[in-house]
Amino acid sequence: MVIDDEPIVCKRLQSTFQKVGYAVETFTSSASALSRLHEAEFDIIVTDLKMEGADGMQVLATAREISPQTRVIVITGFATMETAKESFHQGAFDFVAKPFKLSDILDCVRRIEARLNGTEASTADSTPSR
Amino acid sequence: MLHALKEIMPFGHGRIRDLPFDVLFKKFKSILERNNSILELMADMGDKMSGEYVFDRQYLVSAVERLSDLVFKLISDLSVLSEHKNKELFLGFARIQHQIQEELAGRHEFPAGALVIPLLMAGRDAEELDGGKMAALAEMHDQLRLPIPDGFVMTTKAFFDFMHHNRLMEVVETGIAQWDGRDESYLRALSEEVQGRILRAEVPHALASQIDTHIHILQEASRSRPLRLALRSSAWGEDGDASFAGQYTSLLNVPAGQVMDAYRRVVAGTYAYEAWHYRLERNYHENEIAMAVGCQIMVDGAVSGVLTTYADDAGQPAMLVTGTWGLGLPLMNGEVGGDTYILDRTPPYAIRSANVVEKPRRLAAASKGGTVWEDVPPEHRRKAALEPQQLLTLAEAAMTIERYYKRPQEIEWVFRFDGQLRILQARPLRPQPSLARASLSVDHAMKQASVIFQGRGLVAQGGVAVGPVVIVKSDADLDAFPHGAILVSKYTTPRFSRVMCKARGIITDVGSPAGHMSTIAREHRVPTVVNTEIATQMLHDGDEITLDATQNVIYRGRISELDHFELTEEMVFEESYEYRLLRRLLKRISHLNLTDPQAANFKASACLTYHDITRFIHEKAIEELIALTERHGGLDFSAPRRLISDIPLGLVVIDAGGGIRGPIDGKDISRDEIESLPLCELLAGIHESGMWCTDPVSVDMGSFMSSFTRTFCTSLAGPHKVGRNLAVILKEYMNLHMRIGYHFNIIDAYMCETINDNYINFRFFGGVTDFTHRSRRARFIREILERFDFRVEIHGDLVVGRIKKISLPRMAHRMRMLGGLIGYTRQLDARLQDDRQIDQHVQCFVHAIQGVIGGKSER
Repeated sequence: MVIDDEPIVCKRLQSTFQKVGYAVETFTSSASALSRLHEAEFDIIVTDLKMEGADGMQVLATAREISPQTRVIVITGFATMETAKESFHQGAFDFVAKPFKLSDILDCVRRIEARLNGTEASTADSTPSR
Repeated sequence: MLHALKEIMPFGHGRIRDLPFDVLFKKFKSILERNNSILELMADMGDKMSGEYVFDRQYLVSAVERLSDLVFKLISDLSVLSEHKNKELFLGFARIQHQIQEELAGRHEFPAGALVIPLLMAGRDAEELDGGKMAALAEMHDQLRLPIPDGFVMTTKAFFDFMHHNRLMEVVETGIAQWDGRDESYLRALSEEVQGRILRAEVPHALASQIDTHIHILQEASRSRPLRLALRSSAWGEDGDASFAGQYTSLLNVPAGQVMDAYRRVVAGTYAYEAWHYRLERNYHENEIAMAVGCQIMVDGAVSGVLTTYADDAGQPAMLVTGTWGLGLPLMNGEVGGDTYILDRTPPYAIRSANVVEKPRRLAAASKGGTVWEDVPPEHRRKAALEPQQLLTLAEAAMTIERYYKRPQEIEWVFRFDGQLRILQARPLRPQPSLARASLSVDHAMKQASVIFQGRGLVAQGGVAVGPVVIVKSDADLDAFPHGAILVSKYTTPRFSRVMCKARGIITDVGSPAGHMSTIAREHRVPTVVNTEIATQMLHDGDEITLDATQNVIYRGRISELDHFELTEEMVFEESYEYRLLRRLLKRISHLNLTDPQAANFKASACLTYHDITRFIHEKAIEELIALTERHGGLDFSAPRRLISDIPLGLVVIDAGGGIRGPIDGKDISRDEIESLPLCELLAGIHESGMWCTDPVSVDMGSFMSSFTRTFCTSLAGPHKVGRNLAVILKEYMNLHMRIGYHFNIIDAYMCETINDNYINFRFFGGVTDFTHRSRRARFIREILERFDFRVEIHGDLVVGRIKKISLPRMAHRMRMLGGLIGYTRQLDARLQDDRQIDQHVQCFVHAIQGVIGGKSER
């Protein structure tokens, strides 16, 4: 799931992830994204932090609540130490500052994939792979 | 009273100059630092053009804010240094800032008087003014060098002027406002009324006279008498995402005297019922409609038709060409049948099949204007309309277009009676559903794909390229370069521009994404990765590969699914609003107009971009510093000292801290008293490279003076008389401003153990000789710098090279290299007689400098 209020971010990420075989749903409002989260399961969520309505932190918190096995990557154009710390504190898998290279975000996603497949060495806080 | 007192007093004018030197020097340093930050930020924004990054409007807004802030503070810093209040600079800044804000707000400034524009000068970013269709044609001509019929465009501004002049906008707007959204007969009636009014409306005088002028120009240039023209609609958004195909009007074979009427008819067509209804269904507002009209020389076609670059041939993608005798219009309307040819999408674009039909009649241009049906002579009726050579020409042109727009294309073309091709129109297409299914298998293909290498080097331009590798080592290789191949080479050189329209992709071992070749590759949208270091090692002539430059991966074999995927992606990055906005912003930010400090236009009021301002301030800051140091004479530690050396550089050194060893009295110093690392290394390069000759270089004494270093005069004459050879140094830092004859060299460098702090900024500007020599010299310097991993940009005759974050030893090597380079270039002044000599000199220099910089192992 990709959540960003800028359509171009959604479109570019969608096409990049589709290219490597992911099914992608995009949302420009966190409200519709959240309601969708209640309906379906997502392996990975990529969300912007600053949006109208519910902000990214809330999405992060809700996602952790509803489906704790979903990995969340936080992207933001306003990257600071504080927001980074808070994101990780809230359980984000990774924190990526905008603008970012497409290959970097793909690397991030591949790392998650590796974890999910159990091919990455497990660390103290990893959940059992599916 | 206070003022009069000040006049009498010998000091205490209250002028800023009375601040202590080190305070002012701090300002100078601050100017240099800010200058570097600004250049960094501009380069950073430029990087985003490659497509490798995801960025949104917010990035642009905040980058622009940071930039504006820095530039403003830069001007303020200069104000502290100089005696002028720099009102002109602040005004210039405010003007540029305003333009940038307007761009960000989406308000476009129409260039003044742009009612009619010659088509061959329309250029990019012209869609605003020329509408979709004409802008695309101009782009294909400018960027891709495809042949189009000459002509001019009556712009969208002309449209608005015409409509407002006749109060027609009000009629349209009030008419639509009163529509209930359902009553079709109301809309029909409104459409009739508006069209009628347009046909009777007056063309404003300014527009009419410009149209007449351009018709006259075409008449003069055209061989066919009398002049016949084709008028075509070119609306905003036409041929973009919303396909208005066939909705708007084209008028063929119009005599010059009927152009005004034809113009009205095309404009009226904007409000034809079907077209208007189509727009309203898609929720277009009236203020989003503008109709530019293209007026081109009518091509009386021998053969015309349509080519689709991505059609279904029994489930496989192929090119489909349909052609008929005469004009193409009836083919598209279905009034005549045409031959069909199916071609391979990959070179050599083999003909898979051909279906020749009977072609009994053709549409031709009538002698008095308009078109007329003619019988086709019996011997031609069953003859193939297109020969293999023509099909090849068409195929190459078509794939060039498809690759540029990254979308399947439908192209209208015509061959003249003399055999020459003309492209009439190109529209993006969505591929048919049967082919769309192929995109679902891309991830499967990707999983099976074998990677040759990835993540190496830097992306200059994103995109997918599929094709055979052709290694280019020489000009002969370039001459023989085939259409649709991927160019692989050790170095980058702007000479690749020759094959830019043929190359499907470019991969190099060495080079910079800010370099000239990369800039050209971006303009042509050729997927390009530079500086990989291993491309020529890992790839061989004839290898079939797939380059995904957006993600910087090179795969073995042709992954057609990836190619297809890119063609069918919902959005093309280069067509996105953000990309276009960035490009427009960069025009106001990083484009440099003020290149020559000696030129008449080197003044504050001529600054048109932020880069102009920073360049101007840099020069002024140096001047101020020199003037400053003269005033302070020998009174403090920072007295300017003359460097005594075998090679008369006329260099004056100011030590701001730790740059000079030994006693701080005396006017002269020698090389071994220099502690400043960068200056030490530079001087080593100058003295040990053997590239400096103290004799005046003999040049043609025709119209210019010989260039030789001026001996510095101990009386410290004013900066206007002396070459500005000044080095301001610290232990790890040097800012050098050196003028040798008519060459300006500026080197700003920081060298220490911390890799991240190290950088060199090198600027070279050379004047005097004629333009061709100057540009050869610039190219020579650029090629040398790129070999040493500098990021190089050229702005006219100014060469800017930057490198940063390299180790101390590597910094030292480069400083020495620069020392040799300055000397070598000076000798080169009049000796670069032709382009091939550039290469020879590059080889010669690189070879000769190895001894000084410590050999190849330093890499």
